Amino acid sequence: MFGPQTHSEPSNGGFLSQKTNWRRITSSNPTTSATTITTITKKANNLSVKFQDLYGFSVEGNIDDVNVLNEVRERVRQQGKEWWALEASKGANWYLQPQHSSSGEGLTVPSKLTAIANTITSTMTLKKLIRKGIPPVLRPKVWLSVSGATKKRSTVPLSYYNDLLVAIEGKVTPATMQIDHDLPRTFPCHPWLDTPEGKAALRRVLVVYSFRDSDVGYCQGLNYIAALLLLVMKTEEDAFWMLAVLLENVLVNDCYTDNLSGCHVEQRVFRDLLAKKCPRISAHLEAMEFDVSLVATEWFLCLFSKSLPSETTLRVWDILFNEGAKVLFHVALAIFKMKEEELLRTHQIGDVIHILQSTTHHLFDPDELLTVAFDKIGSMTANTITKQRKKQEPAVMAELDQRLRRLNSVKMDEK
Amino acid sequence: MASIGNNSLNAKLVLLGDMGAGKSSLVLRFVKGQFLEFQESTIGAAFFSQTLAVNDATVKFEIWDTAGQERYHSLAPMYYRGAAAAIIVYDISSTESFERAKKWVQELQKQGNPNMVTALAGNKADLEDKRKVSTEEAQTYAQENGLFFMETSAKTATNVNEIFYEIARSMLFLGVLVSFTSTPATGLWCNGQSIWKCNRISHKSSKEELRTE
Repeated sequence: MFGPQTHSEPSNGGFLSQKTNWRRITSSNPTTSATTITTITKKANNLSVKFQDLYGFSVEGNIDDVNVLNEVRERVRQQGKEWWALEASKGANWYLQPQHSSSGEGLTVPSKLTAIANTITSTMTLKKLIRKGIPPVLRPKVWLSVSGATKKRSTVPLSYYNDLLVAIEGKVTPATMQIDHDLPRTFPCHPWLDTPEGKAALRRVLVVYSFRDSDVGYCQGLNYIAALLLLVMKTEEDAFWMLAVLLENVLVNDCYTDNLSGCHVEQRVFRDLLAKKCPRISAHLEAMEFDVSLVATEWFLCLFSKSLPSETTLRVWDILFNEGAKVLFHVALAIFKMKEEELLRTHQIGDVIHILQSTTHHLFDPDELLTVAFDKIGSMTANTITKQRKKQEPAVMAELDQRLRRLNSVKMDEK
Repeated sequence: MASIGNNSLNAKLVLLGDMGAGKSSLVLRFVKGQFLEFQESTIGAAFFSQTLAVNDATVKFEIWDTAGQERYHSLAPMYYRGAAAAIIVYDISSTESFERAKKWVQELQKQGNPNMVTALAGNKADLEDKRKVSTEEAQTYAQENGLFFMETSAKTATNVNEIFYEIARSMLFLGVLVSFTSTPATGLWCNGQSIWKCNRISHKSSKEELRTE
């Protein structure tokens, strides 16, 4: 499942030197060292181990989990070497905006075609490479580029973020009050997020965003996403732009606004896809009257950050920013698919949830999940999903509208 | 699976209430006996199960702990649909949270299952010096609306087990009534099947499911 990866490995100091940079914010997190085991407690026959994962989160698992995590660390290092090798052969930053190479005006038709072909090759190489994971030190640069955040930022003055920071100073709104309430409740055990500095940075990103888009304001769930973005991007301004591009371009509209209608749409699409891609599971769960949204809602709203281990979540995000929101469906379907036989044996809702939760909790090997997500689930084009969404939108709107009317009639009765 | 011949119920229970009222903390205290000063905010909902013994019967609670932020309201029906019991939680130091609790009560009265056992929990009872909602006010409201009421503290564990225990007792009582009258409305479960379902399909597989009362 996670055999050794055999890449040629030209030594490259870049990875290490940039790592120092990375340490600035997480302070406690040696990406390359072996897993630090904090405590081991013996529970019956199972050894339960507490350890820190690649992004400084404390997790509890068994010895196997620790071994897997160490193996993943090694693979992250190998994958880094592959990126450096490509940088050496294709030039630094080759992966940033590969489409620019095709903008040669005045070229002859054949050379234009060559340029286009080169771009396509570049895009394909990048897609493959990103599916295998972006090294943590390169994530900020690559994410900003492939997601379109850089482009988004370029449309406003350079001082945009700082101007907003000044504008929000001392302002109290329902959003800021809710943000303040959630700050200490966002990954409370993380060594950096739990510091005053960490909380202040998270607060600024969330508050500034709530002013940028008052329709979204603050929605619970964004706290986890913004926190993880901060850990990856290292500067809050970059984290802010990633949050903006995510909500405004990458995800479906209205996932986090008012009545979460976008989220309702995604859940309906997901139910249909499960019926199509995993018909046995879907039929079995339906017979048990188990609505998959009961568990999948959190996955979609937090983009798996609350359920999957951090490096696994970020591997999903690597693909999310490069290929779009369809990866969320791939991954959600894969979690069910991986446990098909076990799920088919369940008779109680509690057992279904237990299987899904323990699966996601122990998914320390991102490739195990992503192999199923792409190879076993099969392809789904963005177009198919867009069509499905269009199909579901009227039903969601009607349902939410009907609900609102019923609730209003409750209020009328009161009078 | 519950043993045959025993009085054993599976019951879906949902917690509703304003964000930060302490829903997750109540569940954590009840299920694991723990309390965290900073409990992670719940997104969507979290699931727990816990079995309580009441006299010679057992009740297995399947608990849905929901997200409190107002916009998550639109997801709530998915969690309270078919619930046999609900705990509506407010924070005694916040009048807003009490107002929101009242809205939940109205919604359940209108949309929830009519046999639902509903409890009102005035949580954070340890914060006496910050109290904004008086016990009398909440008690009166609860009586007027047929709710079972307790002030709780997840922090000190006051009345946490008690509120779940009382719900279990009411449900067992109701469960007996339901299985006698075959009302196909409640979300009470026995031996992994809801009682009304057992009654409906009793001609097919009657032996185990019906021997619960």
